[in-house]
Amino acid sequence: MISSAAAKVKVDPRDAKLSMAHFFVAFGALAIGGLMGLLQTLVRSGKFELPWGIGYYQILTAHGVLMGLVLTTFFIMGFQYAAVSRTAGTHSPAARRTGWIGFWLMTLGTLMAGVMILLNEASVLYTFYAPLQAHWIFYLGLTFVVVGSWVDGAAQIMTYAKWRKNNPGQPSPLLSFMAVINTVMWIVATLGVAATVLFQLLPWSLGLVDTVDVLVSRTLFWYFGHPLVYFWLLPAYMCWYAVIPKIIGGKIFSDSLARLSFILFLLFSIPVGFHHQLTEPGIDPAWKFLQVILTFMVIIPSLMTAFSLFATFERYGRSKGATGLFGWLRVLPWGDARFIVPFIGMASFIPAGAGGIINASNQMDQVVHNTIWVTGHFHLTAATSVVLTFFGISYWLVPHLTGRKLTKAMNKLGIIQAWVWFIGMAFMSGAMHFQGLLGGPRRSAFSTYGDSQQALDWIPYQIAQAVGGTILFIGIILVLVIFINLAFFAPKGEEEFPVGEAENLQEKAPMVFENWKLWLGIAAALILFAYTIPFIDIIQNAPPGSKGFKTW
Amino acid sequence: MAKAELKAKQHTQVEDSSSLKGTLASVFLLGLFIIVSWVSVYYLFVDRF
Repeated sequence: MISSAAAKVKVDPRDAKLSMAHFFVAFGALAIGGLMGLLQTLVRSGKFELPWGIGYYQILTAHGVLMGLVLTTFFIMGFQYAAVSRTAGTHSPAARRTGWIGFWLMTLGTLMAGVMILLNEASVLYTFYAPLQAHWIFYLGLTFVVVGSWVDGAAQIMTYAKWRKNNPGQPSPLLSFMAVINTVMWIVATLGVAATVLFQLLPWSLGLVDTVDVLVSRTLFWYFGHPLVYFWLLPAYMCWYAVIPKIIGGKIFSDSLARLSFILFLLFSIPVGFHHQLTEPGIDPAWKFLQVILTFMVIIPSLMTAFSLFATFERYGRSKGATGLFGWLRVLPWGDARFIVPFIGMASFIPAGAGGIINASNQMDQVVHNTIWVTGHFHLTAATSVVLTFFGISYWLVPHLTGRKLTKAMNKLGIIQAWVWFIGMAFMSGAMHFQGLLGGPRRSAFSTYGDSQQALDWIPYQIAQAVGGTILFIGIILVLVIFINLAFFAPKGEEEFPVGEAENLQEKAPMVFENWKLWLGIAAALILFAYTIPFIDIIQNAPPGSKGFKTW
Repeated sequence: MAKAELKAKQHTQVEDSSSLKGTLASVFLLGLFIIVSWVSVYYLFVDRF
């Protein structure tokens, strides 16, 4: 009994190896993708031109694919694999083998897509909007990434299912439950991108068919593209809900509330893709309206999360004797990188979330659509809230997995890194938001648009973005130094994998939360309701298909 | 006398530790921030379109 409990506290070294394999790819992608991001901001400042015939759209694609798809997916799968191993027990050899197959499939796919981008055969941006046409190997590579992530996720589901079988009538461990929710949401969401790639883009890029239905392809992409951002966010929420309380020495405010918010994300993250297509002709406004309403439903679990986190902090602070309205803020462990790095991420989610509500509102989308405001928005959500939380996780998880310690020096460097990141992002994302409100376009290289006054007014903001991008690149160098130190050089020791406990242990989470038939049924019903009729409409009234374009 | 004071103090602390007034204030501030940013951009929309 004791040995099994002890075995649970530490992630098994065989599982640790697979998690670390994911992290090496993730941080490798961060290094290359980060450099591409720096170059983009320099080009857009107008003071720098790319050498050797490298195209702006090529580095833009590399940045988006490496950061948005590779860094995130690999980190998330590695983290969730370790979290399930830690809380639901060591993976079985079969589950571990499945995980490795998934990992290698994703890595192979990443290499295929990456090589095609480097060869300038796939400068179609990470959203690969048809009728921009990339080399078929790029699409096939991304298919391997997606299929690999399904196989990888299956390993987590296998171990979760084993736990459920061995513990009938018991709610599963919170972190495992959350990991499985995110994996299931990912599988349902990626069906859309798999459909457009397999049935449209691959046959088209192979020359088997001449034309592509652009609107169908974009609709399938955004069916996937919005839950994608929740797939990034939910692992950060796993840390905020279930790990941070333990790090600060407090308790999870409510285990049931955390589970309910994850279920709401599963239900409401998917049938909302039209809010990315509000300016798209060919979709009935009534269905856009419906999906905007469903988008706004996601605000509910987000605000539940905000409440729950404030409550966790306040309860902890008051238990330490803090008084006054905000006295509890003072007693939080501000010197602990494992806390403050994700905390800066949480705080950034306040403007990030507010910006998201603006994006999703139909009228305001007319103000910000396709402007660099949107780029500023997702650099707050994904590239600050999510990524800083991932950095904060890696500061204890990497040494935990490699049998090392987070030293005082690395802890300090981690805190410096987070502030550098925050300052760089304040410049870059802030300038992007303001430039977007002035109409500055996203996804575009430097241009003065025939010296028009409006475009000239954007240049100071673009220079501010280059300043921010440079500071952020310093942040990337710092985090890579810390990662390499924790993976290879930090002193040997035991670093804790913190798993929080609920405040009220008597309050058992309702078993209905584990009723997958029910939640997947409701999710499917919502998706069918939101998409069936408009999709039939889109296909029946389709304009002629488009041939492929290679604009670079 | 001293004992009574000590008791009264402890009592206040227990009551205070279950208070979530800071959380309430925080979520109100958060809500206010969301509304102010939304209305600002809505104003831009009304102004431009």
